[in-house]
Amino acid sequence: MLKGFTSILVKELKELMRDPKILIGMIVLPLVMFPVLGLVMGYAVETAQSEARHANLVIVDNDGGEWSSTFINYVNNSMNVVIINNTTPQHVVDQGLLYKNNSTMLMLVPQGFSENLTRHVSGEYNITARVTMYGVFNAGGGIFSGIGGASAIGLVEGFNRLVAPNLVVASQSSIIKGEIQEGVDSSILGSLLLTQSIALPITIMIMLTYAMQIAATSVAMEKEEKTLETLLTMPVDRFSILMGKVSSTVIVAGVAAVTVLVGYNYMLGSMTAGIAGSIGSGVNLVELGLVPSMSGYLLLGISLFFTLLSALALAVVMSAFSENVRGAQALVGYIYPLIFLPSMALMYLDIQSLPLVLQGVFYAIPYSHPSIASKAVVTGDYLTVILGIVYVLAFTVVIMYVASRLFATEKILTAKLRLSKDNKKQAD
Amino acid sequence: MRLAVEVESLTKQFGQIMALDGVSFHIKPGEIFGLIGPNGAGKTTTIRMVCTLIKPTSGTILIYGQDAVRAPDKTRQIISYLPEESGAYPNLTGWEYLEFMAKLQTGFGVNIKNVVAEAAAICGLGDRLKDKAKTYSKGMKRRLLVARALMTKPKLAVLDEPTSGLDVMHAYHIREIVKRYVKDHGVTVLLSSHNMLEVEFLCNRVAFINKGHLVMEGEPKELKARYNSENLEEVFAKVVGYA
Repeated sequence: MLKGFTSILVKELKELMRDPKILIGMIVLPLVMFPVLGLVMGYAVETAQSEARHANLVIVDNDGGEWSSTFINYVNNSMNVVIINNTTPQHVVDQGLLYKNNSTMLMLVPQGFSENLTRHVSGEYNITARVTMYGVFNAGGGIFSGIGGASAIGLVEGFNRLVAPNLVVASQSSIIKGEIQEGVDSSILGSLLLTQSIALPITIMIMLTYAMQIAATSVAMEKEEKTLETLLTMPVDRFSILMGKVSSTVIVAGVAAVTVLVGYNYMLGSMTAGIAGSIGSGVNLVELGLVPSMSGYLLLGISLFFTLLSALALAVVMSAFSENVRGAQALVGYIYPLIFLPSMALMYLDIQSLPLVLQGVFYAIPYSHPSIASKAVVTGDYLTVILGIVYVLAFTVVIMYVASRLFATEKILTAKLRLSKDNKKQAD
Repeated sequence: MRLAVEVESLTKQFGQIMALDGVSFHIKPGEIFGLIGPNGAGKTTTIRMVCTLIKPTSGTILIYGQDAVRAPDKTRQIISYLPEESGAYPNLTGWEYLEFMAKLQTGFGVNIKNVVAEAAAICGLGDRLKDKAKTYSKGMKRRLLVARALMTKPKLAVLDEPTSGLDVMHAYHIREIVKRYVKDHGVTVLLSSHNMLEVEFLCNRVAFINKGHLVMEGEPKELKARYNSENLEEVFAKVVGYA
């Protein structure tokens, strides 16, 4: 055994476990955060399954034969089916029949379906019957949003197992912003959706936490090194000191926001190039609503920028309550659940699908807004993004006001967040 | 004659703790005045109030007739403060640090280059001023900061433990700087120190603070004679009842 190892280990454990900041940050917060996250994810899965169970499937029956009736009856046993005869999928979409029938899925049983099936069961195994599934692609949905379409495809497989293998072949197409996109497999689009749902929120989480640490460290360093004390005795406006500090981090934040957007755009460009190749060269992905437009990018950038600004201002305020860098970083850590929870939850959920109270909570957390905006700019819901920006801006103004009040008084030097009795210290 | 510093009945309460209770003292222009006392006596609290960093619970502070409590902005134009164990910005060079501080400390029309050149001469760091402050030893850093505090020739320089933790050479250099600056430019100095020898060497007058009260004030020579003591340390021990 190494000499002194046990004593040093015990001393270190005592030091760490007796520091309430570490105790709360490393033990209490994860104990609270992950169960909450589990509840949110459980809710997301449950909602998606429930939607799939209660989903209506609109079937356009252009065949009208015996086999098409048998097939539709089979599907009807598991899903609520609405049958429309002799029309085109585009006509159904144009007439708003999907919306009227509370459905996001359409199945086309084409003419000749029964004839092909009859020939197949008569021994012509190279003849198969085809159906096409049209799923409404929702770029703002969570990663479980395609679950309904998957269950309909599963029923086709079930029908084949019951009658004959490879009897009915299902192909997938998409309905994007009211337009039928033949041959656009929603599973390929799903990968894009997944990227949008996960990549940007993760990047935002990393960026926000990193920026807050930088800002908190910057102020705490000034306090620890007592350079702040020197600055506060200078014949300069104290608001200038605060603004100088925040502005420098804002410039860093601005550069960070642009960097994130450039990277995000590049990543989407690489991914959508592959998708565009698979669905034909005449398709404009921006018009389809698969990637944000230029104005969308601009709004997303503004949302990111102001969210960063509010986070930085809050970090400055919080670090004013600590005496050193370690304390400031621990204090700022208490904000992280407010960044992680909405970002992670919005990966799995469409905010619109949440109960009103939860929606209110998510909208009230300023750090949710870039995640909300990243989906809203794709769907073209610019109003949500703009309202989010206004809210975050108002929040930032309030925080900046608090910060300016702190800097104007002796509290910037004397304020301490006391988490335990032994933190009390007499001034020399 | 107008006094440089007039502190009257100064009290400061932090929650339940009375950090300072009815402290009064005066400093004449061009004088080096020392505040002496053990840790937690109230020296830094007094200094922070004189430097407009914190407000007293009651009492008045006048710096060259300027009310430091009611008009802190005007007071900040004539004072310069060196906090205890303060540092410089680690990623700025010594020169950049002095330049930055000179811009904040001086008004329009002042030649910043001249001010920084003055500071460079005071600290005697030569070419090392081109290096980042994080490469400096503790003594070099302190010399840089003392130079910063004196470079604008403030009416009142407040130095909190200016030589604390320094080796003999650096401490000696700093004491010489302070003494020379007061003599050459008439700067008034309020300093606090644990080092009784330093105080004896530097200060024209001293005040003992203990448990938030000012217990004794006078010239070092006079105090030593009054208490029949070899040095100020012995005087202090007798005054507060340790000896």
